[in-house]
Amino acid sequence: MLDTNDAFDASGTNGAPSADLPALACESVTMRFGGLTAVDGFNLRVPKGALYGLIGPNGAGKTTVFNIVSGVLRPSAGAVKLFGVDVTGLSPDRIARSGIARTFQNIRLFRNLTVLDNVLVGLHLRREANLAEAMLALPRHRAEETQMAATAAQLLEEIGLAGVSHYRASALPYGRQRRLEIARALATKPAVLLLDEPAAGMNPAETEDLMRLITDIRKRFSLTILLIEHEMKVVMGICERMTVLDHGDTIAEGTPEEIQRNERVIKAYLGGGAVARA
Amino acid sequence: MAEQRAVHPLLKIAVVCGALILFFLVLSWGQEHWDAYTVRILNLCGIYIGITLGLNLCNGFTGQFSLGIAGFMAVGAYTTAVLTMSPAVKQAVFFIQPLIYPLNSIQWGFLPALLMAAVVSGIVGFLVGAPAIRFRGDYLAITTLGFAEIIRIVFTNIVPITNGALGLKGIPPHTNLLWSWGFALVCIAVMVRLMRTTYGRALKAIRDDEVAAEAMGVNLFFHKNLAFVMSAMMAGVGGGLLGNLITTIDPNMFRFPLTFTVLMMAVLGGLGSITGTVISAAAVTIAMEAFRALEEPRVILGLTIPGVPGMRMVVFSVALMIVILFYPKGFMGDREFSLDRVKRLAAGLDRTNTSKQG
Repeated sequence: MLDTNDAFDASGTNGAPSADLPALACESVTMRFGGLTAVDGFNLRVPKGALYGLIGPNGAGKTTVFNIVSGVLRPSAGAVKLFGVDVTGLSPDRIARSGIARTFQNIRLFRNLTVLDNVLVGLHLRREANLAEAMLALPRHRAEETQMAATAAQLLEEIGLAGVSHYRASALPYGRQRRLEIARALATKPAVLLLDEPAAGMNPAETEDLMRLITDIRKRFSLTILLIEHEMKVVMGICERMTVLDHGDTIAEGTPEEIQRNERVIKAYLGGGAVARA
Repeated sequence: MAEQRAVHPLLKIAVVCGALILFFLVLSWGQEHWDAYTVRILNLCGIYIGITLGLNLCNGFTGQFSLGIAGFMAVGAYTTAVLTMSPAVKQAVFFIQPLIYPLNSIQWGFLPALLMAAVVSGIVGFLVGAPAIRFRGDYLAITTLGFAEIIRIVFTNIVPITNGALGLKGIPPHTNLLWSWGFALVCIAVMVRLMRTTYGRALKAIRDDEVAAEAMGVNLFFHKNLAFVMSAMMAGVGGGLLGNLITTIDPNMFRFPLTFTVLMMAVLGGLGSITGTVISAAAVTIAMEAFRALEEPRVILGLTIPGVPGMRMVVFSVALMIVILFYPKGFMGDREFSLDRVKRLAAGLDRTNTSKQG
């Protein structure tokens, strides 16, 4: 059949990656939309297990980088590598299968499905039973459905949504929808998790909760996390290292302390005048 | 609260089998004893239930708005008709140009012919779907509508196979209540089963958010084609049953209004609801006949109103508008009618009553 379930094996999840290879690497990635260069010669090395930040003012090209890494966009030049394996230009579903999961800046849940079903869709790509087995309810499929339901329930429990698993996703409050998106992404068993402005639109208390959740899942699922954030406070608090983008160019890279002292960053965020006054 | 009792699975299977046997016994008795008009309408009900479920799989459950159903029905109808007609009849019907060689001398049974109709319309469905499903929304609707018209025009012009605009006459009237309702039940079973699997969930995920579904590892090409091809197959078999019910087909039967009729059934019942589709397909088929009375001349309060042909379509259009205004998602939306839901509703009413008293 057309299904490519086992056509691409996950190097990130199954293989044992060597220690020196970065979990995720972008090598001089460039993205041009007609005459506009959204991202220019972008380099990134996210070591395994890191919580890495990608920041920059509006229109800096952060989401473009995410869309390239997750396969929505094919870069004009450059390569994206997952544990040394080139995944540049693969379709989003194959990227997901190879071990990169993402959330969206504007929440994109399956609104009419239940919370549980949302997570179950995330488990779909690791299915073993083929369509015929599923339609005929053969033992392998039945066992798998039971297994999936258990995994999804456990995931919801861990992420704190167990009580609402039979609600429609659209009925959840905003903060919980964000959590559900993370749970759904985790269901695909990623090695690298991309979070696109997870704290957008949240109040300080919710943001604090979310930051705890992120550090928590990183440990529990031994994830490598790449985080886009607009709000400096969030990234500074939890990221070990970060890259700062402005107008498609990388203007700084380093630890939060280094970034906070970096003049180009201050300039980009506060405008040229701030530096002169400082 | 409604108490939950575990029903033994074997008992469940026995009950279902018993109900099915009883159902088919009644149908086969009815085939002999009910009048021809009733039997004809019931046949159409069964056929349209199956076809509408197929359309709903693609348009409702997967959210791929296709308008090609009449084309696939034509493919199925012609395949079944050409395979089931006897060589003598074929020689008589194809008097302008004889039917090409292997087809002119064979006559298949009804079941293999219907299976062949499923295969052929499935293949045509894939050939149409594989390029077309890259489009979204209105573009997909226009593309599939165009493909359906292309199929119809091709059928008008390949005279040595389809007999062109003259159509086919003398198709053996194989279709009876057992065939049409058997088809309906198979389609229902396929849909219920599919929607309980992880594949069904993936289809609904595509409907809700294609970008997110793909990012979660759902292969869009495979899953959209799956829905499209299955939908085409159901339409093909339904078309075959229809051809062998009315015993004469021609390309003009399979114009856009046929697609519109099936689409109306799906929209009224609720895009994304199996039970809604079944109820609405049967109801609309019956209403189509019942409303014929509106087209007859009659005298109301001394006023002579002449019969207006096509009046019932006006009624349907108004009904559709009213439904879209007040139930934008159809009568069932994407929910299902089930005994559990009735029980829950009853339990809910019970609770509100007792709390009011207390």
